[in-house]
Amino acid sequence: MRSYLSYFKLRIITNIQYRAAALAGVSTQLFFGFMYILFYIALYESNAGISAPMSLENVISYMWLGQAFYALRIPVLKDSELLNMIKDGNLAYEIIRPQDFYFKFYIKLYAHRLISVMLRFFPIVIVSVLLPKPYNLGAPTSIGAFIIFLVILVLSSFLITALSILVHLLTIFTIDSRGVFSFYAVIGELFMGGIVPIPFLPKILRIIAYILPFRFLSDFPYRIYMGDISISSGINLIPINILWIIVIVLIGYMVSKIALRKAVIQGG
Amino acid sequence: MKLCIKTKLEYKASVIINSISQFLVFFTYYFMVVALFDKFNNIKGFNLYEIFICFGVIHFGYAFCETFFRGIDRFEDHIIKGSLDRFLVRPKNILLQILVSEVDFVKVFKALQALIIIVIGIVKLNINLDILKIVTLANMLISSVLIFLGIFIFTASYCFITVDGLEVKNLFTDGGKYLAEYPISIYKKGVFIFFTFVIPYGFINYYPLLYLIGRTNNILYAISPLVTILFTGLSVVVFYKGLKRYTSTGS
Repeated sequence: MRSYLSYFKLRIITNIQYRAAALAGVSTQLFFGFMYILFYIALYESNAGISAPMSLENVISYMWLGQAFYALRIPVLKDSELLNMIKDGNLAYEIIRPQDFYFKFYIKLYAHRLISVMLRFFPIVIVSVLLPKPYNLGAPTSIGAFIIFLVILVLSSFLITALSILVHLLTIFTIDSRGVFSFYAVIGELFMGGIVPIPFLPKILRIIAYILPFRFLSDFPYRIYMGDISISSGINLIPINILWIIVIVLIGYMVSKIALRKAVIQGG
Repeated sequence: MKLCIKTKLEYKASVIINSISQFLVFFTYYFMVVALFDKFNNIKGFNLYEIFICFGVIHFGYAFCETFFRGIDRFEDHIIKGSLDRFLVRPKNILLQILVSEVDFVKVFKALQALIIIVIGIVKLNINLDILKIVTLANMLISSVLIFLGIFIFTASYCFITVDGLEVKNLFTDGGKYLAEYPISIYKKGVFIFFTFVIPYGFINYYPLLYLIGRTNNILYAISPLVTILFTGLSVVVFYKGLKRYTSTGS
């Protein structure tokens, strides 16, 4: 356990080095946030009479939260070390290490996500709260909702890492990683409400989205925050969220075992 | 280029997954537009099919550049590794060599899909295509390719100065691309002006679109895509200026 902890610390320290990149990330996020908001404002302005599934203020808050916690929802955050290992066969060395392969990389990817979100969310939240009226990020509906929002964000960081490492491991079977990644990215984005909020989706897709785990990454926490989902149904959904994390970690762990057995043969 | 396709074909499973996923990526974007217009019926007076044309044109240009001119998108690698020198000693045109140094033919599907969407848009809108309108459409497609080429070359030229902060490039390619998926008139004034006069996205799918769907009969609108030639031309000039100053990083 201690070796994992120190590894976690090491990863955090390494990732903090990339502050300049984070700054660039912040500006990109702000830009995209504005862009989406301008689009939705135009859309709502030209359809004044139509009842939309979400109010404009909520959509705008949704977009800002999505940008601020981008690193916690973006499906693909590639880890080149792991991918190169898979490509050139050095994965075999990992088997002889004393730490478990799966958890070691879980920690690495987790640290990466954590630091990217920590370095980025604050400036984005500040800017978006301070913006003039139609463009700003609204306050949370209640303190209770805000607390649940934070809890789910923490959970989502575990979930996204589990998903992410699972996809990394799947590339062992296809070698070239791009296809798997873009496939996963699209499915993930669509069903987490990353492209359009889930209430805007047609009925069939909405049902699928509510079954899949991806909604816990963005749709669910953000809508709790703005009161679009009530606190009580929010609390009811948390166990399902935790269940998903366990299931995906278990699948990932099993895949890592199978994959490593296969990698031995390839390494020769 | 043939060689490049062959190497990619070596990873068969991957190519198949890649192609499917490219299809899906595009389909999802397309789908997002349809989903939104299911709930709303117009955006600043433009209906779904007019958006389709706008959307298709911009994606066609981008996908085309991604397919055939991938090399320039990765220009910073050439600078960092010093492999640019390899191109410099060859007797062919340097820019051309870099442009075609990598081909990602999976992205062809994206360009095809974009064309299909444009066709759907045109059919549903019942546009009767006379010669002038066909020329306008062709003009839009070509200029769409040109504009992305121009942006790629601009950012490549920027690499001569520094390779830091290249993420900014995404703002102009990806960011600009998303903005220009819709007619730029739906945005506020500032954005509108920026994408008309600084990066001329407006000239490839807004002004000519107005002509195409018959909102205006002004012939100037039909030939406005030609503005992008200026833009790309300028980018090439800047590139060669930068190249003159280039001193290799290699040993």
